[in-house]
Amino acid sequence: MKLSTALRNKKLGVVVTILIVVMLLPFGSSAARFVLARDAEVPDVFLEMPLDYFNRCVEDTDYMRFRHMDLLKRLREEFIRDGKRGNVSLTKCRDCHTSRERFCNRCHEEASVILDCFGCHYYPEPDSVSQQLGT
Amino acid sequence: MDRREFLKKGGAALAGTSGALGLPLLTSCGVNTASEDSPLAGRKWGMVIDLNECQSDCTACLDACRHENNVAFHNDKRWDIHWIRKVNIRSKESEDHTEKSVLLLCNHCENPPCAQVCPVQATYKRADGIVVVDHHRCIGCRYCMIACPYNARFFNYKENEEWPNTDFPKRSHGVAESCNFCAHLLDQGKRPACVEACEAIGVRALHFGDLNDPESDVSEIVASAPVKRIRDDWGTEPKVYYLGL
Repeated sequence: MKLSTALRNKKLGVVVTILIVVMLLPFGSSAARFVLARDAEVPDVFLEMPLDYFNRCVEDTDYMRFRHMDLLKRLREEFIRDGKRGNVSLTKCRDCHTSRERFCNRCHEEASVILDCFGCHYYPEPDSVSQQLGT
Repeated sequence: MDRREFLKKGGAALAGTSGALGLPLLTSCGVNTASEDSPLAGRKWGMVIDLNECQSDCTACLDACRHENNVAFHNDKRWDIHWIRKVNIRSKESEDHTEKSVLLLCNHCENPPCAQVCPVQATYKRADGIVVVDHHRCIGCRYCMIACPYNARFFNYKENEEWPNTDFPKRSHGVAESCNFCAHLLDQGKRPACVEACEAIGVRALHFGDLNDPESDVSEIVASAPVKRIRDDWGTEPKVYYLGL
C-alpha cells in the first residue's frame, strides 16, 4: 500500500468519525437531560400546597404531579360516555386548590402547556382567591 | 407465469386485500354507541309532551333549561342557542287555522342521524338512549346540524359570557350542542330541569321516564293515549312523544 493512499484513508476515517458523532449528538443530549432531570430537585413551582393541607388528594402527590392529565382524561371518558359520575371531578379540584393561577397556571406556563379547561369548567377567578388568601 | 395468469392472480390478490381492509370500514359506519358494560345499559329515557296542558305564554321550562345548562342567549337570533324552544305552527288541514304552540327539543332518536355523520365520534348515543355531544372531542364541523332533521342542533358562533350555574360547564366558542335530557342530573338520580320546572308551577305538560319500564309514567301514556312523534315516517325513531299534536 502506498503512503498517499493510507493517508487518504486515515483522513476519511476521521471525517466519518466526526460525522457519526455529530449525528448522535441530539440523542446523547436528550439522554443526558433525561438522566439529569430524574435526579434534579423538584422545581419551586410545585411547592404550592392546598389550603386543606391534611386531606389527601385522590392519588399520591407524585402521581398527581406528573400523571394528572391521564387521570382527568380517563375520568372524562367515564363521566361523559358511560355516565360513571364519581366523587372526583375537575371542579372538585377547586375545593382545596383555591387558586387557579398558582395551582395550574404556574406549572403549565413553565411547561408551555396551553390549558383550555376553564373556558367551560368553572374555576374561581384568581383575583378573588388571592384576596381570600391575603396575598 | 404468462401475462394472462399474472393479471388473474394479481387481480384476485388485490380484491382480497381491499376487501379485508374495507370490511371493517363498512361495519364502523354504524351509530357511535357507548360501551356495553356501562351502568346506563337497560334504560331508555323518553319524554311525553302534553300540548293540551302546555300553556302557550308560559316559558318556565325554557328558562329553567337555560339556567341549568348555561345555554347561551345573546338576544340575537343568529347566535341564540335553544336546547328547548317553542314554535307556533298552524295546521294546513284543520278548518279553523288556529295557531298551536309546540315545544321542540332534541328528539333523542333511536337512529340519530347526527351521530352517524359525526366524523370524530363526538356525538354518540349513550347506552340509555340519550344522544350526547362530547364537547371535548367536537371539532365544530357542523355536520350534525345539517344531518338533524329536527333543527335541534345549535352552534356556538360566539363565546357565552353568562354563567348562571357554575356547577355545570358551559360551552366554548366553536362547538355544536343540543339538549341532553340533563344527563348530569339523571346520573345523580334527579330529573331534567324542564320537567321539574313544569311541575313546580303546577302544570303536568312534561312527563319523563324510562320507556323500557312498563310501570313508568311515560310507558303508560305511550301505551294508552294517541301519542305522535314528529315525522315518524323518517325512521329516526324519536323518543320524544307528543299528545295533542
